[in-house]
Amino acid sequence: MKRVLTLALALVLVCAARSALAHKPSDSYLAITVGDARFSGQWDIALRDLDYALGLDSDGDGKITWGELRAKHAEIASYASGRLKVSADGRRCTLAPTAHLVDDHSDGAYEVLQFSIECGRQKPVREVEVDYTLFFDLDPSHRGMLRIQHPGGTRTAILSPDRPKQSFALAEPSRLAQFIDYGREGIWHILIGFDHILFLISLLLPAVFFLAHGRSSRQWEPALRFAPVFWDVLKIVTAFTLAHSVTLSLAALSVISLPTRLVESTIAFSVMLAALNNLWPVVVGRRWAVAFGFGLVHGFGFASVLADLGLPRDALVLSLVGFNVGVEIGQLAIVAAFLPIAYALRRSALYRRMIFTGGSALIALIAAIWMAERVFVLKLMPI
Amino acid sequence: MFLPPLRLVCVSLLSVALTVSATPRLPSTDAQILERLPIRATDPVARELRSLRAELTASPKNHVLADKLARRYFDLAMAEGDPRYIGYAEAALRPWDSGSIPPTLRVIRALLSQYKHNFDGALKDLAIALEADPDSVEAHAWRAAIFMVQANYAEATTECTALAPNASELFATGCVAYVEATTGKLQNAYVRLASALKRHPDATPNSKLWNLTRLADMARRLGDPKTAEKHFRAALGLGITDNFLLAAFGDFLIEQKRPAEAAALLKDWARSDTLLLRLALAERTLALPTAGARIQALEVRFAEAALRGEQLHLQEEARFRLYLKADPRGALRLAIQNWKSQREPRDAAILLEAALAARDRAAGQPVLDWLMQSGYEDPALRSIANALRAAAG
Repeated sequence: MKRVLTLALALVLVCAARSALAHKPSDSYLAITVGDARFSGQWDIALRDLDYALGLDSDGDGKITWGELRAKHAEIASYASGRLKVSADGRRCTLAPTAHLVDDHSDGAYEVLQFSIECGRQKPVREVEVDYTLFFDLDPSHRGMLRIQHPGGTRTAILSPDRPKQSFALAEPSRLAQFIDYGREGIWHILIGFDHILFLISLLLPAVFFLAHGRSSRQWEPALRFAPVFWDVLKIVTAFTLAHSVTLSLAALSVISLPTRLVESTIAFSVMLAALNNLWPVVVGRRWAVAFGFGLVHGFGFASVLADLGLPRDALVLSLVGFNVGVEIGQLAIVAAFLPIAYALRRSALYRRMIFTGGSALIALIAAIWMAERVFVLKLMPI
Repeated sequence: MFLPPLRLVCVSLLSVALTVSATPRLPSTDAQILERLPIRATDPVARELRSLRAELTASPKNHVLADKLARRYFDLAMAEGDPRYIGYAEAALRPWDSGSIPPTLRVIRALLSQYKHNFDGALKDLAIALEADPDSVEAHAWRAAIFMVQANYAEATTECTALAPNASELFATGCVAYVEATTGKLQNAYVRLASALKRHPDATPNSKLWNLTRLADMARRLGDPKTAEKHFRAALGLGITDNFLLAAFGDFLIEQKRPAEAAALLKDWARSDTLLLRLALAERTLALPTAGARIQALEVRFAEAALRGEQLHLQEEARFRLYLKADPRGALRLAIQNWKSQREPRDAAILLEAALAARDRAAGQPVLDWLMQSGYEDPALRSIANALRAAAG
C-alpha cells in the first residue's frame, strides 16, 4: 500500500534499455590511509553516477566502454577532487591522482580513483577533516562512505548533505604499529632504490668466484665450496649495513648533514667503481672494506628518503630503528634471492659471461649515466 | 512453459548483478564494456528528462518545472524500484528549504519522504498541501496510504471519505475497499471492488493494475487461489512494469508451492532487492545451483544498505535471515524493528513467523494484538498466530 496511489501517475517505460544492475541508492566509497609516513586515498565512484554528472557514454549507445571512460579520466579527476577537501591538523592537503582503475560493486562498475594526499611535513597527524560535496547537488540521496585507516585503527563515517564536513581525532598509534609502519617504508625504499641494489649486486656478483693467478693474467674461477662464499657475502653485507646504519642515524638525528648533490653523485660513482672492479679487479679480498666505505655514503642517501617521510618527534629513535630494520630486511631478501642462484650457476657460461661480465658492464654503464645526470643537473641548477 | 508477458518484452537482463567487489582492475581493451546504462542518452525518455533538467537549471525556482521533473523521476523509481531516481527527484526540490517550499511542491516532497519511510514528515507535508487545496484527491489518497502502513484504520477511512466527492467511483471504492479488506470486511470489500472494476472497463491501465493486484490478494485470503491467479495474470497482461505486482505474485506462487513458476517469473529481476529475495527463496526450494550466488548477492546488498545507515528493506532482510540464513533470532530482531514503523499485513506475517521460529511469544504479542483489534482475515496468518499461541503455552 506504500505505493498505493501511483495509479494516477503515468508510466513510460522502455524495457529494451533497462539496465542489468542491482538497484541501490548512489554511494561512493572513499578510503583514506593515514600512515605516519604517507597519506593516500582511493575513491570508488559509480560509473552510472559519473555518467549522470559528466556524460561518459560518448557514442550514446547506452554502454560505457573502457575507452569512453579513459577519455574522461582527467575530467573525472578534476570533478571529483574539486568536491573533496582533506585537511590534516588544520592544514589543507593537496590531492593528486595517481591511477585510474575499475572495480565492481553490487550495483555495477565503479571508477577507482587512486590519489596521493600531500599535507606538508608535520607528523604525526592528530586530526583529519574531510569536507565532501560530490553529487550532493545532483542527488541529495548520495552518500560518501568514508573509511580512514591510520596506524591507531580505522574510522568510518557516512558523509551526507546534512553532514558533509566531519573531522576525526585519530587515536595515538601504538608504538609497535609505528615501528612496523617505518619498517615497511624501509623495505620499500631499498626495493625501489636501484642504486643501492646495484651497488650491492656489483659487490656480490664475484662472491661465488675466487681470483686465480694464471701464467699471463689473473682470472675469476668458480668457488669450490659454499662456506667461503657465504662468509665473504656475510662480511660484505654486514659492512655495508653497519656503515649505512651509522650515517643514516647521524643524518636523521641532524648530527651531520651533507649536500644531496655530493651524496647522490658519490653513490652513482660507487656503483660504477664496484662494477668496474669486477671487470678489472683491483680490490678483491677486501671488498667488505669497499662496502663499508661507500656504505657510509649510501646511508646519507637513505637519510634523505627518511627526511622526505618525516620522523615523528615523539618516537624518533623507534621510527629510525624501524626504518633501518626494514632496509636490512629488504637487503637480506635481495641477498637470499641472489646468492643460491649465483652459486648454482657459477660454473655456467650464462653466469660467467652474461650475468657476471655482461651484468657488471651494464651496471657500470647505467651508473655512469646516473653520475652524468646528477652532475649535469647540478651544473644547471646550483643550489 | 510459463512465460510472463513482461519477459516477452524485456529480455536479456542480468545475472551479472551477482558480482561481488574484488580488487580493482585495469581493463585490457578500450572496447571492453564496463557498464550498461538504464536508459540510453538517445532514448525519448532520457531526452525529455534532460531537457526538463536543462530548463530547471535555467530557472531553478520555477516550481511548476520542479514539480514536473521530480514526478517524472518518482514514477521511474516506482516502476523500476530504483532509488537513484528518488535522489534525482529530491535534487529538483533543493532550491526550497523546509519552511519556504510552496504547498504545491509539498505533495511530491511527501511522496519522496514516505519512500524513505519518513511517514510523519510526509503526513505533515500532505496536510499543509491540503490546507491550500482541500480537494486534492492525490493528497488525501497518499495520506490514506500512509495511515494504512501505520495501521491507523480510522484515519485512513477519514481520508477515503474526504476524497470521495472529487474522485472517480472506482478510485473511491478502491480506497474504502482496501481499508475494509484489512479490517474484517474482506468478503464485502472484494465484491464491491470487483464490481466497481467491472463497471469501469475504461479505467486507466495503472488504475486497473492497482485494483487487480488488490483483488488478487483478497481472493487469495478468501481461499480462492484460482481466482487470485486470474487477477494476477490479468494485471501482468497489462504489460506495465511493476515491482510490487511481481513481488506479490512471486509470494503467491511460493505460498502455493509452485517455486518453479516463481523462479521463472522473477529470474530476470535480480536487480531489485525485493524481487531477488523471492527469486532466492524459490531457487533455494528448488535446490538450483544458482541459489547460493543469489543468497550471497542479497547478503552483500543488505550489508551495503547497512553501511549507508538506511534500513528500507527490514521486512525483506528479516525474511532473508529467517528462511535463507536459518537465523530466527536475527530475523526476529529485524522484524521487531520493522514493526515499529511499518504495520502492513506482510510486516505482521514476518514478525509472527520469526517469533514462532525463535519460540518467543512475547515478541509476537504486538502482532497477535493487532490481529485481534483489526480483524484481519487471512487463514495462513491465523494459523501461524495459533501455532505461536500454542507453542508458547
